Amino acid sequence: MFRLALKSVKHSPKRLILTAFAVALGVSLVAATQVFTNSLSSGFSDLFEDIYAGSDVIVEEAPDADEDEGDPFAAAEGILSSDDVDAIGAVEGVEIAAGGLQVAGAVLGPDYAESAGGDPFANAGPPSQIVNWYGDPRVDQATVIDGRGVESDGEVVLDVDSAPTLGYEIGDDVAIATETGVSLFELVGTVRFGDENNLQGATLAYVSDADAHTLADDPNYSSAAVIAAEGEDLDRLAGRIGDVIPEGTRAITGEDKAAEQTEQLDDVLQYVDIFAIAFGLIALFVGAYIIVNTFRIIVTQRTREFGLMRAIGVTGSQIRRMILLEAVVIAFVASTLGIIMGYLLALGFAGLVTLFSGDIFGTLTLPLDAVLWSYALGTAVTMIAAIMPAIHASRIAPMEALRESATSGKKPLKVRNIVGSAMFLVGAGVISIGLFGDFERPYIYVGAGAVTLVIGATLLSAQILSPLAGAMRPVLSRWFRVDGKLAANNIQREPRRSSNTAAALMIGVMLLALVATFTESLKTVVTEEFASTQADVFATSSQGAMPPGAIDAIEGVDGVELTSSIGFSQAQYDDMAYSVAVLEPETASEVFEYQSEPSVDELGPGQTYIDANIQDLGVEVGEEITLTSPEGDVTLEVAGTLSREGEGNFWVDFATGEDLFGEVPIVQTMVVFDDSIVADDADNPDGATTVSEQTEAVQAVLTDDYPLVILAQPGQLEQLANTFIDLLLGVISALLGSALVIALLGVANTLLLSVTERTREIGLLRAVGLKRSSVWRMITVESMVMAIFGTVLGMILGVALGSALVLSLADFGFDGVTIPWIWLAFYTIAAAVAGVLAAIWPAWRASRLNILAAIAADG
Amino acid sequence: MTTTEVPALAATMRDGFKDYGTGEAAVRALDGINVDIARSEFTAIMGPSGSGKSTLLHTLAGLDGLSAGSSTIADTTITSLSEAQITEVRRKYIGFVFQSFNLIPSLNARENITLPLDISGTKVDPEWFDNIIGILGLGERLTHLPAELSGGQQQRVAVARALVARPEIIFADEPSGNLDSKSGSELLAFMQSAVKDFGQTIVMVTHDPTAAAYADRILFLEDGQIVDEMREPTADRVLDRMKQMGH
Repeated sequence: MFRLALKSVKHSPKRLILTAFAVALGVSLVAATQVFTNSLSSGFSDLFEDIYAGSDVIVEEAPDADEDEGDPFAAAEGILSSDDVDAIGAVEGVEIAAGGLQVAGAVLGPDYAESAGGDPFANAGPPSQIVNWYGDPRVDQATVIDGRGVESDGEVVLDVDSAPTLGYEIGDDVAIATETGVSLFELVGTVRFGDENNLQGATLAYVSDADAHTLADDPNYSSAAVIAAEGEDLDRLAGRIGDVIPEGTRAITGEDKAAEQTEQLDDVLQYVDIFAIAFGLIALFVGAYIIVNTFRIIVTQRTREFGLMRAIGVTGSQIRRMILLEAVVIAFVASTLGIIMGYLLALGFAGLVTLFSGDIFGTLTLPLDAVLWSYALGTAVTMIAAIMPAIHASRIAPMEALRESATSGKKPLKVRNIVGSAMFLVGAGVISIGLFGDFERPYIYVGAGAVTLVIGATLLSAQILSPLAGAMRPVLSRWFRVDGKLAANNIQREPRRSSNTAAALMIGVMLLALVATFTESLKTVVTEEFASTQADVFATSSQGAMPPGAIDAIEGVDGVELTSSIGFSQAQYDDMAYSVAVLEPETASEVFEYQSEPSVDELGPGQTYIDANIQDLGVEVGEEITLTSPEGDVTLEVAGTLSREGEGNFWVDFATGEDLFGEVPIVQTMVVFDDSIVADDADNPDGATTVSEQTEAVQAVLTDDYPLVILAQPGQLEQLANTFIDLLLGVISALLGSALVIALLGVANTLLLSVTERTREIGLLRAVGLKRSSVWRMITVESMVMAIFGTVLGMILGVALGSALVLSLADFGFDGVTIPWIWLAFYTIAAAVAGVLAAIWPAWRASRLNILAAIAADG
Repeated sequence: MTTTEVPALAATMRDGFKDYGTGEAAVRALDGINVDIARSEFTAIMGPSGSGKSTLLHTLAGLDGLSAGSSTIADTTITSLSEAQITEVRRKYIGFVFQSFNLIPSLNARENITLPLDISGTKVDPEWFDNIIGILGLGERLTHLPAELSGGQQQRVAVARALVARPEIIFADEPSGNLDSKSGSELLAFMQSAVKDFGQTIVMVTHDPTAAAYADRILFLEDGQIVDEMREPTADRVLDRMKQMGH
């Protein structure tokens, strides 16, 4: 039986090429993702090993549940005094104990002063890591390449890659910006970090111990690196060190620390994996439609063959097994191809990323996981898709062998419609449950519902397509004469096949339309958001919080009427962490229309406004509540409500904010210019200062002391936000692109198989005088109709589902659906073009058929 | 067709050679054939299998090219034309009736009949159409799909399609080969009357002496050459002649 199946595949490999390719594309996406994240993970774990493996034991802040530990570049507050470090050094078995300090700041390029004024985002480059130089390569994990190490204050050492990238040579003054200003240090040497200077694109700078303390404005160390004496048991040493260090810190071996960091990163990458695999699954799902169609057509074409087999004594279940075996062969070949393609894809993409952001990858390896997953998914999808056609084939009666023609009987669509409607409704119901019901993991419901709904829509679409093709017949006949009529007939003749083909495209387009609807609506929200602000300029810091001095400096500039700052932090209420927004009530309403009750300028010290989430907890206006923060407990009067999703659960003024958090981390300062400043595009006969000119003036004031502060006009920010949204749409579209390519292969495949099926018919048409070009046009019209039908259905579904999604997110500020008309028009045109492209191979084959051979063909 | 000068011959072939395959496997299907097909005549081509009779029909009709020699349709030498030009000639001057699978399954009888006109974008002459339909007895069946017609009806639709464009010449390849004898003789009688009543030219390949007897003239082929010709045939005479050829 296996030999028979293998022979059958070998006998007519052409009809299976596109099918295999469809499976392979889906599989390749899965494989590529895994290869990619795997190498990203190994790249970072190398970095972590370089960072931590140098020290035998590390003393650092104990991990706090609230704190995000994922970022290796974050600077921690100083927690170890010099005495603590000395105490660690005195522990038995410790050779060296070195206090480590990271400075929050950035190493700037030599021309920072000029570049700062132009592009507001120029300073937000790759992160810098500024640390204190110890002088022992085991502690610093650095090997001097050129020059020498740091020997006295005012000197700096850069890593060997960053110095030339930034444009510094030994002897130059290097500018380092921190919260307090820009300082210059003399570059005395370059070093290689670890073995390969593997910094994932970051800049590494070493300064003297005293300078580091000055820059960080902190007398303490944030960590300590310990080098053990020869032959010490590190775990036990860590235990002994643990006894002498202050509360809130811990001692951990370097090896454990690196492993811990890698593990944390892998957790993050796992989500990337899931995200990308979801797209791989979509592609495979689309591929499944093509497999179903291919097998169904093949079974129809081989009806006589199967009938003959049955007549000579082959059982139905043997035929079923044979077809499933064929499916296995295809699945194996296709998955193998897919894995190879996936590896190449990952290789190409990694190359592209490396080009733009430096070498952040480890060796690209093909993990066993990826191989197993790819084979499993590829095989599962192919098998599931082949089951129905196989069952159908096993039911072929021996008598069918004797039938004259192999066209399938006209089974009514009734059963299909009933099942389709049921699935459609159940799918819609399950999606609603997922969206509006209060369940854990709602996405499972949404996903399962969407799959059911889509299959239902596919089944139903046959019912729509058939009369639609009938209705289009006169139109197509008028446009394309007899070729158009024949094309309409061909679609109508096999509504199941045509609608399955269109459905593959429908899914891809549906997702695109869904995402486009969502992102366009999101853009509207963003636009409205920025339109509702009266601020002329937003000031933010590219690293950390806005320095208070910078705000004073801005207010001191002529033409600035007022500033209003907002900060965010977290506090505990009822043992749960909530976000607290801190604003300036007296100016807040001047820059932004807060939807609050009462007005935001009535918010006083000791009071708080609460958002809907807190109201849902049962807290009411007039109550007193207690927030717990690092500074202790603070009791506040609930004076009003203010809901802005994703911002603050509690809203307080700066006086209260200082009670809660000490210094409030200011995230953003909104600046309003006075009336003497006119808009850029306003009628300006007197040559008054424009907003842009004024912004430059403010930036100039900040450049020297606060180079990290960047100014942006709302329009620029809106543009930036929209660019990000477009980027998101672009990335998702690119990922969905594979599903669309598969769908187009499906259209091509179906046409190719139906050309084979209609060989005699086409031969006859040619014999009675149909030109090759007309045959080509007939196939193309057929392809375009299917493609546009799938696209239009997909857009309807996609916009509907996208709208449902947007409406369900009304709490997040979405107040209406924006239908992405431009995108929809684009998709329709693209579908028509795609239809033409998909028809090329089948049309070429059809028009090249030898007339005599075609007429004589065994139909 | 409103040609002022009527050609005397509907189709000709001069020194027609047709080889299939190369080297050892080469087969000569036509071996220097000279043929003239007169207008308004019903010509039958007979011969044992492998004699080249189908090849002669196909090359005359421009469905297949000659290896050497030339052939004409309505004074047009088709052997020197491009594929697209030959398609044009087929559409304009030639009608076909095949043994089976003559009709497009998705088109009904009327649409199948008018297909050649639809392809060339010519208007149907309703009088002529009704005339043909009346003679062929298809009036009731025009809206039926081929699958809903009997074998005899299907072949009659095919003949109607061949006739509707009033082609210079109709080529029929075993048109009655798949029919029972009653339907077969009905069909052949229609073809005969088309020649007699409308002056239609028909060339038919057959191996059935009874079918050949409907023709005005029979060409006998053997090993790619015309070995004999018979006028005013009867079934018995044809059968005798065939027996001589080793049948």
